[in-house]
Amino acid sequence: MVSAQVQGFHPASFFSTQTARLRDTVSGKKALAAISGGVDSTVATLVAKQALGENLVPVLIDTGLMRLDEPEKVKARLSASPIDLKVKLVRAGGRFLDATKGESEAEAKRKKFRETFYQILRETAQETGCEYLVQGTIAPDWIETQGGIKTQHNVLEQVGIDPQTTYGFRVLEPISELYKDQVRKLGTYLGLPNDMSGRQPFPGPGLLVRCIGQVTKTKVQLLKSATKIVEEKLAPYSYDQFFAAVIETRFDVSLPSKQLRETAASALGLPADEAQVAIFDQPVTGVKGDERCYGRLAGVKLSDESREAYGWLPEKLQQVQSSLVSKFPEITRVAVLVKEKRGGGPFSIIVRAVSTRDFMTAAASPVSWKVLKDIADAVLEIDGAGHVHYDITPKPPGTIEFE
Amino acid sequence: MTTVPVVFVKGQYNHLISRTLQDLGIESRLLPASTTTSELEKMGADGLVMGGGPQRVRNMTDLTGELSNAAQLISKLKIPLLCICVTHQLLASAYGGETATAKSPEFGPFEISVSDEDTILSGLKPSFTAWESHNDEIVKAPSGFRVLASSPSCAIQSMRHESKDVFGVQFHPEVSHTTKGVQVFRNFLGVVRK
Repeated sequence: MVSAQVQGFHPASFFSTQTARLRDTVSGKKALAAISGGVDSTVATLVAKQALGENLVPVLIDTGLMRLDEPEKVKARLSASPIDLKVKLVRAGGRFLDATKGESEAEAKRKKFRETFYQILRETAQETGCEYLVQGTIAPDWIETQGGIKTQHNVLEQVGIDPQTTYGFRVLEPISELYKDQVRKLGTYLGLPNDMSGRQPFPGPGLLVRCIGQVTKTKVQLLKSATKIVEEKLAPYSYDQFFAAVIETRFDVSLPSKQLRETAASALGLPADEAQVAIFDQPVTGVKGDERCYGRLAGVKLSDESREAYGWLPEKLQQVQSSLVSKFPEITRVAVLVKEKRGGGPFSIIVRAVSTRDFMTAAASPVSWKVLKDIADAVLEIDGAGHVHYDITPKPPGTIEFE
Repeated sequence: MTTVPVVFVKGQYNHLISRTLQDLGIESRLLPASTTTSELEKMGADGLVMGGGPQRVRNMTDLTGELSNAAQLISKLKIPLLCICVTHQLLASAYGGETATAKSPEFGPFEISVSDEDTILSGLKPSFTAWESHNDEIVKAPSGFRVLASSPSCAIQSMRHESKDVFGVQFHPEVSHTTKGVQVFRNFLGVVRK
């Protein structure tokens, strides 16, 4: 039997089909390419560049929601050899903060982001005389949007928005049938350096979807600093994706605390008073049985002795997670408290690390307790941070990102 | 070339079924549930897989459009059929079984115990880890079917028709985290190529 590696996806034939198709469609006109530095948009832009040459205008929008110094670093990296893309950087940070001001519901935030993003692209397309927009939509983006799990910022036609009448350009998605691992293979085939083709995903709306609930300057600043710490500390390990999120440390006390505690303790085989469960007030996104589930995040706190004794037992914690989610339909995700600071700030930082092939399912990574404590020590030095949690939820019932 | 299309019923992982089959050297793409048996015949389908979806199966008269179409296919199809998640439940109800809200819904990794290594679960005894995502479950298997596997929280993880090449699994063999899932597809293809 022919091996699975030989069957299936062939970068070379995929590339020649797509470049021919792009050339045919655009036929001498100009196209804008929305690029973020992430592997999807970079690969889509490279495919389009090969097809359209000088008629392609790559544009990077600084949303104000990228990581520390990311827009400048990405622009410099893309302009250098071997990528050599002349990228136009559009500064628009303030517009995204204004557009999402006061909005705490995840879908409303994503839709506001999408609207602002495309308005800016519309203006840029007009300035540069582009009639097409190339973007790096991939299979999970539109599958999740179509299925109503969440609004991806780059999916228009699949949800019934006609970009031609709404924004004045036609959208081209050369890699929309591919999964992440196939995109990476295509990137390698196109000569993208390993650190770029293997780069972990950073969502289009950026820190917006990791700023759980309302987006404020304070929260975004705290999150940028925490993100830097988490990325540096987890970089030596081979997790497929790892990042930080921020949420107000405010709890909903309407759920039965005794039953929550008993469920968690019994899954761990501990006396009920050695586990505490607090339910965060602000909902988070999950997916249960192919349905979007905008549910609750449970924070589990173990007594110091049990935590030290247990160290980090992924199987046990997996049981806590699955018992809570199975017993309480309103709970979507479960995180374990790593450390708290007495008199610390009003925000919790949630650390997430997962292993995944195609981002359709994901397992929480077994980050060692020592590494988590290191991260917590550093994060709790930042103004505003009071608690550090580690998310132990697989996808499903969680999603990889929080909103 | 062997052709095994996948019926799209709006599930997150429906695409991954096609992808897994393509990786195994099979001609496979997603088809709408409204595809008819004669259309399947015309395209030379040797077998058919139906995926999962967000719908609920309660009785056969109150189904969404795509499940109602899928039920038509289930009743008319002559080629081997594999039903996953919600269509596994639909398969049960279509043959006179029963689906209801699960007492313990399953999301993420669960241990599947194989009681009968028949065809589809060949080589998977005694147990394996599979990923799940379901709020409902089959509470009564239809007569004429044999239960092949269970998990601690769900009694009917897999079943097969006693005489036809018709199979159902509650878990998701198509996601990469179900590391032995590809074996389920290999087993199914063994039947398809027979």
